[in-house]
Amino acid sequence: MSLKELIKTATLKELSNRLKNKDFSSVELTAAYLERAKELNQKTNAFITFNEAEALKEAKKADEQIAKGEAQTLTGTPIAVKDNISTKNLKTTCASKMLENNTPIFDATVVLKLKEQSAVILGKTNMDEFAMGSTSETSYFGAVRNPYDLSAVSGGSSGGSAAAVAAAQCPAALGSDTGGSVRQPAAFCGITGLKPTYSAVSRYGLIAFASSLDQIGTMAKTAEDCGILLNAIMGKDNLDATSAATPFSDSLSEINRGVKGLKIGLPKEFFGDAISEEVKVAVFKAAETYKNMGAEIVEVSLPDLKYAVAAYYLISSAEAASNLSRFDGIKYGHRSEIGETYEEVIKNSRSEGFGKEVKRRIMLGNYALSSGYYDAYYNKAVKIRQKLRFEMDEIFKSCDLILTPTTPTTAYKLGAGDKTLTKIYSADICTVTANIAGLPAISTPCGYDAAGLPIGMSLVSKAFAEPSLIAAANAFEKQFERRGAVL
Amino acid sequence: MFDIKLSAHLAELSKLSFTETELYEVTKEMNEIVSLMDAVSDFTATEALNTAAAVGLDQIRADVKCDSTPRSEILKNAAKSEKNAFAVPKVV
Repeated sequence: MSLKELIKTATLKELSNRLKNKDFSSVELTAAYLERAKELNQKTNAFITFNEAEALKEAKKADEQIAKGEAQTLTGTPIAVKDNISTKNLKTTCASKMLENNTPIFDATVVLKLKEQSAVILGKTNMDEFAMGSTSETSYFGAVRNPYDLSAVSGGSSGGSAAAVAAAQCPAALGSDTGGSVRQPAAFCGITGLKPTYSAVSRYGLIAFASSLDQIGTMAKTAEDCGILLNAIMGKDNLDATSAATPFSDSLSEINRGVKGLKIGLPKEFFGDAISEEVKVAVFKAAETYKNMGAEIVEVSLPDLKYAVAAYYLISSAEAASNLSRFDGIKYGHRSEIGETYEEVIKNSRSEGFGKEVKRRIMLGNYALSSGYYDAYYNKAVKIRQKLRFEMDEIFKSCDLILTPTTPTTAYKLGAGDKTLTKIYSADICTVTANIAGLPAISTPCGYDAAGLPIGMSLVSKAFAEPSLIAAANAFEKQFERRGAVL
Repeated sequence: MFDIKLSAHLAELSKLSFTETELYEVTKEMNEIVSLMDAVSDFTATEALNTAAAVGLDQIRADVKCDSTPRSEILKNAAKSEKNAFAVPKVV
């Protein structure tokens, strides 16, 4: 099989093994991905920036290491990086006019870790502006299109990373997940997406949206690949005060464990009227598969789930209002030519540089934090966060994992059609709780709707139980027949 | 209820400027969004809930002196700089 054919279906694990086996060089592999990625980008718009010249240089260096027998797991493998993760000397725009010309002077810790393994940074992927959105349509650089149906959304905010993996424009990618931004596009694009436990991966260099919720995650064709990438980027980092050492050194340590003897909870609130029949059927069928593999399926309850979306939007917007106040047009970012005074320059720079959704979130955040509304909104949201954490803890006293849909529906048409803002926000119901509670979660495909669009299911575990979470997703993937994207 | 006056106040706090038409549109959108956020008003809890820091910061790193980033590097992404400093309109 030619390399061009191979990369359409190859996993990260397979490519890593074959590079070490010298079946092909990293330069050849990188060139093949660059060619495919650039060609397909006209259809998917998954990448904002390609790192062509530098990627080929990095690949050459990786080949030298492989030749010397010094290869690590990711040496020579091409990886795409979401465009809100800082890359030294490589444009990092957050898909915003505000940062259109921003070239970081440092690498995010996760990027540094990839470079330490001599992985090849292929390019920067498209996303919702400042990671605010769930369709990747709010990007200043145009919407990402779903490789399963180019007239449908990719999901978001890590839509570019998801579409790039689904279209085999890269074997794996980094994304970020504040309220489901890794898992939801993974579900829409028919790939696997892992949001690690909050603090398991350093956020240093991730352009902040909501610091108490943001988490860098991994996206790939399989759960095992997500674990391979997680192994490379996780760990304590002195540059992120919230980062923690993981109690495991290998997230794949239980990969072949299966699910025999595990108790999997299905929270009834995740299967209400808002969830489409096709999604419910697919997830219940997945539960049946787990049962047949030896897991025990039980119904559980998360009574306060109904408050989760509002609490998530209030907390994340409050934090965003604060985090995004740094964009003043003076130190970096877009600067308006209009304005006589310091205040006017700042206001005009922000008004010209931010898109509509970002402005709405900043306004909402300042509303929730302002005098007279703080107790009614922000303070209430923080209490709900704590209550939901208690309720999740309670479930994990008797269950090993929770199984839910990742999204209420499959990917919908670009342009949102009849979808109002509240409908779009409410669709985050299946994913936000893992962020609110800081828990790890993984989404993997479990079916297809009548139109052939992928359906995703999510598994959630207690904090730092990534090895069993990845193992459970892997066990299902071995039983499930996946369909490729149309591209 | 979100009205134009409240929108204008929040725009000021947010350091954003809107035209009259935009402000009307934003007010409409914010009303829709806030109606969804109002769901939290029904929430009551019997137990004491912590509203302090959401994230534990119990492992603060040692206070070690490090080299600063050179000014020339820091100024690379500034739209305007003069005399090795950020340039801003005259304040006083």
